[in-house]
Amino acid sequence: MNTNSNVYTVIYTALIVVVVAALLAFVAAKLGPAQDANAKAETLRQMMSAAGVKPTEELYASKNAEILDLYADNIQEAYTIGLDGRKNGELSVSKDKIELVSKLKPQHKAILAEGDVTLPVYIFKSGISVIPIYGAGLWGPVWGYVAFQPDCHTIAGAFFDHESETPGLGAKIKDEPWFREKFIGKTVEWGDVPAFRLEKNAEAAGATNAVDAITGATMTSKGLNEALNIWFGAYEKHFGAGAFFNMLEEHAIDTTTNAEEE
Amino acid sequence: MDKKLKETILNPILKGNPITVLVLGICSALAVTVQLKGAVVMALSVIAVTGLSSLVCSLLRNTIPNRVRIIVQLVVVAMMVILVDQILKAGEGTYAIDKQLSVYIGLIITNCIVMGRIEAFALGNKPIPSLLDGIANGLGYGLILVIVAFFRELLGSGTLFGFQVLPSGYIPNNLVILPPFALILLGCIIWVHRAFDKDLQEK
Amino acid sequence: MNKIFEKGGKLYWLHSSVDAFETFLHVPGTVTLKGSHVRDAIDLKRLLILVVFAAAPAALFGMWNVGYQHGLAMGQSGVHILEYFWFGFLRVLPLYLVSYIVGLGIEFASSQIRGEEVSEGYLVSGFFIPLIVPVDIPLWMLAVAVAFAVIFGKEVFGGTGMNIWNPALLTRAFLFFSYPNYMSGSECWIAFKKGEVAAADAFTGATPLALDGATAQYGTGFWDLFIGTVPGSVGETSVIAILLGAILLLWTGIASWKIMCGSVLGALFVGWLGNISGVTDIPFYMQLLYGGFAFGTVFMATDPVTSCQTECGKWIYGILIGMLCVVVRLFNPGYAEGMMLAILLLNTFAPLIDHCVTSVHVSRRLKKLNAA
Repeated sequence: MNTNSNVYTVIYTALIVVVVAALLAFVAAKLGPAQDANAKAETLRQMMSAAGVKPTEELYASKNAEILDLYADNIQEAYTIGLDGRKNGELSVSKDKIELVSKLKPQHKAILAEGDVTLPVYIFKSGISVIPIYGAGLWGPVWGYVAFQPDCHTIAGAFFDHESETPGLGAKIKDEPWFREKFIGKTVEWGDVPAFRLEKNAEAAGATNAVDAITGATMTSKGLNEALNIWFGAYEKHFGAGAFFNMLEEHAIDTTTNAEEE
Repeated sequence: MDKKLKETILNPILKGNPITVLVLGICSALAVTVQLKGAVVMALSVIAVTGLSSLVCSLLRNTIPNRVRIIVQLVVVAMMVILVDQILKAGEGTYAIDKQLSVYIGLIITNCIVMGRIEAFALGNKPIPSLLDGIANGLGYGLILVIVAFFRELLGSGTLFGFQVLPSGYIPNNLVILPPFALILLGCIIWVHRAFDKDLQEK
Repeated sequence: MNKIFEKGGKLYWLHSSVDAFETFLHVPGTVTLKGSHVRDAIDLKRLLILVVFAAAPAALFGMWNVGYQHGLAMGQSGVHILEYFWFGFLRVLPLYLVSYIVGLGIEFASSQIRGEEVSEGYLVSGFFIPLIVPVDIPLWMLAVAVAFAVIFGKEVFGGTGMNIWNPALLTRAFLFFSYPNYMSGSECWIAFKKGEVAAADAFTGATPLALDGATAQYGTGFWDLFIGTVPGSVGETSVIAILLGAILLLWTGIASWKIMCGSVLGALFVGWLGNISGVTDIPFYMQLLYGGFAFGTVFMATDPVTSCQTECGKWIYGILIGMLCVVVRLFNPGYAEGMMLAILLLNTFAPLIDHCVTSVHVSRRLKKLNAA
């Protein structure tokens, strides 16, 4: 057979492409659910690490199914809000059908464009509420979860992740437990500009809403600082000033019932 | 034949090592060698891609039209890389490592070793030797990766596979973690390799 | 030299080390037998000794300053000048020991392996290294850095005269990137004894560049910086002591005045641009006094091995160093000081600059030739 004829070449190429495409589509469809489950469990791990449900290492040592159980057992409610601070949707927290807002990039864009957003708020039974943050690091996106005490003012914990920050420098935001531990007990001053500061020598000034930037990772720190402030700004109407008292009333009931159960 | 087969397997690991002798695939060698775990997964991924791509291309070798040879190879390699990436993403244990390696799994497709072996070997040889040749080249690549990662993780973090090895008083060296140091280490490995193998020294 | 060490002798393999010690102590009687060599008292060793003399004021001042800064931090006063000096001397001496033992050890070993004579190049590098590191640096770190710089910066390229980068600066760069916590920040520039803590309020503890314009408040005004009574690397603080060295170097013709002038002009120019564009409040002339600029310009940039060789190239090289240094200071929030990075980068490009200068020269002459 003449393998160099035009007809043969065209048919051969078409065939190869179709076969490969079909194969890949099949594999993607087969593996898709498992991949989604992994991604969801990863998000839950990060959220629960921030909320202090369990130590981070234990969360990362647990299987996906255990993580889902743990979340379902500890979550009180989850909903989404708009930029006006009002609720605009519910997120299911039942074990079989956990809903999350895991795609943060479109939300980030919507915040910047001041368009329609569905920003998630996850409230755990301990009264701790967790919100995501997202922004641009040095090489790629950085994101994370910040947990607040029931007063919605004091940070209870945080977890940060990144796609491709420099190992040993920018990657410290995830790899070094001391970095996220620094956030515990700090406050977010809703309404202030900036609401939070992640800057060089910020701690020395004595402010409670400040954490020192990472030495040698200036751009990553800067990106994270921006991410924190943009997202805190978006949640301001929900957690800050007026809305704050409503929240407190709602949760006063929740936490007391909780305490009685215990 | 046996001797030839042995040569096929051993040559890429030692005398014809893709990294230290042919200096191919340097980019990922610098990027993924900060930690041993990542390096090992990367090495295994490359071994799988080189082996399977060579096998498939060797099976197809008599049917491939010469004019679109490279494109067909590329399609096969790309398919293998995507498969590896998808499988790593789907596995519960490998998901975290896949995330850590991020784009570098996808970038295996640009690794010159893969296409190089298909062009140089698989298109002219039977499937089994091609498979072995691909695997051996992946091994040669992986071996260097693991050596570099061993030193970088040990000196840069004081750990191996994430376990603390050096005493806790050890102050990690930050330079080791930066990509330039991988290049220096690679240089040292080539230095040692050439010192032992006089044939590799330039006159 | 003893016969046993000569070619064919039993201990010939040791000849490079023996030769090094012999010529270090006295001038050997062996001279060239034929050819038209210029006979002059100046040789590499003499030249290098002069450089060490030139750096001596900065070193001596640095030792006193180590003691003085320690005294300030501890809230002492009325201490005798010699006591300060003695304190500093005891702190700097170990740095010198480590620098020379490690550096020369490797130098001897590699000369031995190559079977060449040991060259004196390291005498100067070894003298500079303790002057450009923080006095509190752990000695093992210094040892590792010196070993790295001498092996990978010098020996792999073929030893003295073949190196691309200044070995002393490479030592500092290694420390800078490897152990950033020990090379920047508030406390590394002042010597503390084990367990000592700075007295409250007596200690402001930041390099002037990290102070962000608030220099006067911290007592690092023009004259403090000029005289050098500020925290910093051992030898880099006193501009006046460095100027004394510069005079000696220029008078003897060892260092190139073009490189020094170029560097100063470049720094002034970018500093001035920063002023008029409102990037910084620091007056442009202060850029010459801060950090390692003076020391780098006088002793590091002018290193004849790693700088440009062509006369025009020296200007370009110097100006770019000065400009780049201030650019890093003003625009890179991560690094307070840019002198080391600027010199190392220009070291890398020095051969290219020379090449360009020469080829421009050649083509211009060719054009003239063709026109005639």
